[in-house]
Parts: sequence; structure tokens; C-alpha cells
Amino acid sequence: MSTAPRSRPGERPGTLRASRPNLLIGVAVSLVSVAAATAAIYALKSLAPVVSLSVVYLPAVLLVSAYWGLPLGLVTSLLSAAAFNFFHLPPTGRFTIADSRNWVALGAFTVVAVTVSTVADVARSRALEADRRRAEADLAAAVARDLLVGSETESALAAAARRVAEALGLGPVSIELGVVGPDRRRRVFELSGADGAQVATLLVPRRLPADAEHRLLAYVVPALGALVAIALRRDALQAEAVETAALRRSDDIKTALLRAVSHDLRTPVTAIVAAGHALGSDSLTPGERSELSTAVVEEGEQLAALVDKLLDLSRLQAGRAEPRRDWVSLEDVVHAAREGLSAPGADVRLTVDPDVPPVRADAAHLERAFANLLENAVRYSGGLPVSVHVRRSGPRVVVRVVDQGPGIGAAERARIFEPFYRGRSSGGDAAGGSGLGLSIAKGFVEANGGTITVESLPGQGSSFVVSLPIELPVEQKPAEAEPALPT
Amino acid sequence: MTADRPKVLVVDDEQQILRALRVILRDAGFEALPASTAEEALDIAATRRPDAAIVDLVLPDFDGVELSRRLREWSEMPLIVLSAVGEEDAKVRALAAGADDYVTKPFGPRELVARLQANLRRIAPEPEEAVIRVEGLEVDLARRTVQVDGKEVHLTPIEFDLLRLLIRNRGRLMTHRDLLLSVWGPGYGEDTQVLRAHIANLRRKIEPGGGRRYIRTDPGVGYRFAL
Repeated sequence: MSTAPRSRPGERPGTLRASRPNLLIGVAVSLVSVAAATAAIYALKSLAPVVSLSVVYLPAVLLVSAYWGLPLGLVTSLLSAAAFNFFHLPPTGRFTIADSRNWVALGAFTVVAVTVSTVADVARSRALEADRRRAEADLAAAVARDLLVGSETESALAAAARRVAEALGLGPVSIELGVVGPDRRRRVFELSGADGAQVATLLVPRRLPADAEHRLLAYVVPALGALVAIALRRDALQAEAVETAALRRSDDIKTALLRAVSHDLRTPVTAIVAAGHALGSDSLTPGERSELSTAVVEEGEQLAALVDKLLDLSRLQAGRAEPRRDWVSLEDVVHAAREGLSAPGADVRLTVDPDVPPVRADAAHLERAFANLLENAVRYSGGLPVSVHVRRSGPRVVVRVVDQGPGIGAAERARIFEPFYRGRSSGGDAAGGSGLGLSIAKGFVEANGGTITVESLPGQGSSFVVSLPIELPVEQKPAEAEPALPT
Repeated sequence: MTADRPKVLVVDDEQQILRALRVILRDAGFEALPASTAEEALDIAATRRPDAAIVDLVLPDFDGVELSRRLREWSEMPLIVLSAVGEEDAKVRALAAGADDYVTKPFGPRELVARLQANLRRIAPEPEEAVIRVEGLEVDLARRTVQVDGKEVHLTPIEFDLLRLLIRNRGRLMTHRDLLLSVWGPGYGEDTQVLRAHIANLRRKIEPGGGRRYIRTDPGVGYRFAL
């Protein structure tokens, strides 16, 4: 049964609040429809006996009861009975009744009108209840979408809280993870998962509308608790999955490291040991002797270079590549890196714009970075010149190392800075690199606050672009060497 | 002069290793046929008919396992793979694919040459002797008796068959599968637990204390009789 209708602005059907239409309109509808029925009976009097025409009032009673509830419906019933008596039952113009048959007619009408009123009101209550249930289901679905479809529970909680506030017509509502105590302005409801442990707290204004507390406790809090618990569990599982993937990646890299070290270290060692044994032979021609001694020297140098790279890499991984900053000329650095190239006759063409300032960085780090970049470019350029261009770009100095090699496909571009990754499209192992150079270059560039990217189209060579800040802003801590391997 | 020397195909993508092996093999009485890719190796194998092959497991075109399989398709020549620590898996697959033996990098030339000679004996067996003597061990193949330091030792039939197989292939790797198939017969090829137990018993009987070891274990692969 509905309570006395009270007028409240801005209410819409379909929310969890009980729907109470405007009482003044109800009174007006009641008066107008009773007046209309009274007038209609005048027109119908010539067609039927007046006693039977009381039914004309019933639509008015039905209408008012259905929309405004039982009290106004009863008022309308009595009003109809009075109007019928006054205007149509003889003697008209007063409330007395001459014929006893008319008493029976008026009595019967009143009983019918009150019954219609009551039945209409029950139907109305049921419709309202159904509306409310649907609204509750809608709210649960919306909150579930907020909490379960989004990726982060923390931010979804705010959206869910807004929905609850809107659906119940409350002031500010919030949901906070964990246990929160009540304060002067806010009440708290405990949100728990299926296991009964409190996972979050629902905070609502201290003063609640009449039925809001019941609705909160009966419908909102249990559903919300279950949903928040599920969302938190999903977060935990997701975090676990990310961690597992990182661990697996780290394992993959360690396996790659073991294999690369096994092969790349043992190959020169094997060549040196074998050449050493062969040098002890009595049957050597002078040509063979010089070949074998060259082999020992070359393989020894290759081994030394590989050991240097492994040490660089482990230094970068351990975050121990703390740069010693000084003003560094990139022209000098690239020159030095070019001098250090072991490839004989490598054609590296350097151009430096006139306005390029020195940068604050560790010269040794940058030399290692560019030595590795140049070595990579020369290796893949297939004997064609490698060009290096140094220019200023705002607060940064940009160095482009451009080779004329086979280029790098989009799929490979993402991986070439990973340690031990060797280009497939370019002949893979046959190119003879250690697979370490680019990850070392990236490590040293980033340790000095710079970035390194690659631009390439297969068949058109590759450009490695190093961008370094001229002077690090004071508040910016020197960037930690990003570990090349996840630890 | 080199006409009657056994020819050995050597496949490695490292030029320096090929150069050194050419000298080492020449001094040991072989002629080296170098190849730096698997394709080149297949060509040389078809045209020059080598007597044996030494194959690196890591090659630029396809790996040593695949090369072993393709060579084995039409050639019975001894096949030795060069493997490194960390390539155990590839080594086992190469042996399954038909390779006879392996040498671990970095290898000493003496070891490589010894393996090569042991495996070449399989192709050209020397006249069988009825009695084989190794240090204090004497095995009479005809009478199926074994003496250790002059004292007769009783072996079960399976132990004797294992010993005979190992000692007749001295220096050569006998994989678990080789031993199981020869001694137990088809259907027992995977039962390495049983093999391990019998080898342990055999060792206890023929290897007296004092550290003398006749049977060497190649972990995960097989056994060989020490040279």
C-alpha cells in the first residue's frame, strides 16, 4: 500500500525510490473527471434510466486510484456518489433521496467504486514493485559492468558509487577499499565477499531518505560486496599473470644467455685451442703457420670483445652503470667509436651540423653505445657506406646512424634491442654478431637520459636515432640504467 | 700421396677451426675436406665420398642434427658431431638421427682423432681375436669367460653380452638404445633403468677398487669402453 502521496521535485519512475505522483494534479484530475462524468450523465439521461448511469463515474475512480493511490481513489468514490446524488437522483439540487430504490442504487455504486479503487491500488502497488525490482536489477548489472569490465577496480569503484547514489537519490556516496570507520557526516556499510571477510566500505550520507536504508541493506550492500570481492580477486589474478609472464620471459632470456654464451664463447676458444695444437705440428708450411697464428690473435680479440660486452651488459643489468657526467662532444665520441671498429676498411661517413653543442653525459658510456651501433650498422650494410649525422633539435642533440642493409621488418623492430636477439631477415647467425650490441647501446644511452629508436623499411636500410638531452634539468635525477633483463 | 689417406668431411662455419683441423687431421694421417655450410657438406659428401664426417651442431643454413639425418639417409660412414655445453639436447637428437659419436668443444685433437679412429674401425673391422686383454682384464669371447687380475669372475649372460659389445667397440660411444636393442632385442629400446642396473653390476665385478675404470658413462647418452 502506498503511503500518503507527497510531492518531490525531479523524481523519475524506474529508480529505486517509490514513485509518488503529484497530489495536486491528482485532486485536479479527480475534480475534473467527476465534473465531466456528471455532465455526461445529463447527455445520456434521454437514452437510459438515470439510476443505471452511475457507472459513468467509474472510469474517473479507476483513473485516480490507479495513478494516485487508494486515499484519493476513495475520496473520488465519495465525491462521485455525492455528485450523482446531488445532480441526478431526484430530488435533484439536494442531498436527500425520495425513492428508496435510488438509495439502493447509490449504495451499490459506492460499494462498486470503493472496490474498484482498492483493486486499482493493488495493481498500482504491484507495478511499482516490479519497477523497483527492475531498477534494482539494472543497478546491479550496471555496477557489475563498472567493476568487472574495467581493468582497474580502484577507478571503477568511483563509477559504481555514483550509480548507487543516483539510483537511491542519495547525496555523495563513496566506496573505499578496506575497513573505514563512520564519521560525523557519513554512515558506513560493510561490503563483504562470499567468504564473509570485509573487502570494502560503502560510505553514505548520515541522513538517509525513509526507505533508503532498507533498500541499501536488502539489495545494494550484498550485491555490491560480492562484486567488489570478485573484482579484487580478478585484479590479484591479473597481477599474478603479469608477474608469471615476466618470470617466464626472464627464464627465456636466461636460457638464451646460456646458449649464446655456450656457443659464442666456446667457438673462439675451440678455434684457439685447435690452432694452438696445430701450431705444434712439424709439417706446417709457412703459409699455414701464419694463418694459424692469425687465427689465434683474431679469435682471441673476438673473445675479448665478447667478454667486454657481457661485462657491459651485466653492469647495465645490475644498474651499476652510473654515468660520470661531463661536457662531451658527440663528434669526438663518434670519431673515437669509429677508430675502435675492428672491421677493416669500414666506411663510416660523419657529418656534424655547425651549431651542435656538447651534451652532459658520460663520454665512455656514449663511446660504448656508438661503438656498438656502428659495429651493427657496418655489419649489416654489406660493404656500403654507413652515414652518421649529428644535429641539434631544440634542447636535445640527435644522432642518426643510417646503414644500407636489408632493413628490419616491423615484427623484428620491437625485439632487436633485446639481449641475444639476432636479426633473422639479415642472415641471423651468419652475420656473426653476438646479439648483444644493440641492447648495450640502448642501456648506455638510457643510462645517460637519452632515447634510442629505430626506423626501417625492409629493403631500404635502417636508421638508429639516438636523442640525448643537452643538459639534464636539475630536478630530474639521472635516469637509472634500465635493466636489460628483468630481474 | 694423399690418395690412400682416409678422407674426412669437416663441417664448421668457423674458418679458423677448419684451418686448424686441416693440419691436425693431416698429421693424424687423414685428408680434411672442409665445408662451411650444410649444403656445401652435402655436395662434398656426394662428390668426394668421404670416409667419415665431423659436423658442428650449429651451422648457418640448417643444423647439424638435420645434416646428420640427411647424410645417414644414404651413407654408412662414421659421423661425429661437435657439441658444446648447453647443446646436450641437440647432441642427443643428433645421435638419434644417426650420428655415431660426439666430441665436446673445445676438444683436444688427440681425443678427436681417437674417436675418429675408433669409429672407422666399425667400418673396417680388424680380424676378430678370441681373447681381448685390457690391463688386468681378460675376456675370452669364445669360451665366454672373464678374468680380472688372473682371477675368474662370474658374469650373468646379460652382463657378458654387454661387456662383449662394449669391448668389441672400444672407444666408440654405444648409446642406451644400441645396447638395449643388441642385448635385449627389439621392444626394450627405452628401458634405460634396467640397463643402468646391469651396467652397475658389471662394473662392480670387473672394475676392482683403486680407481681403474673400464666403462665410461656419457650422461644421458650411453656408455663406452675406455681406450
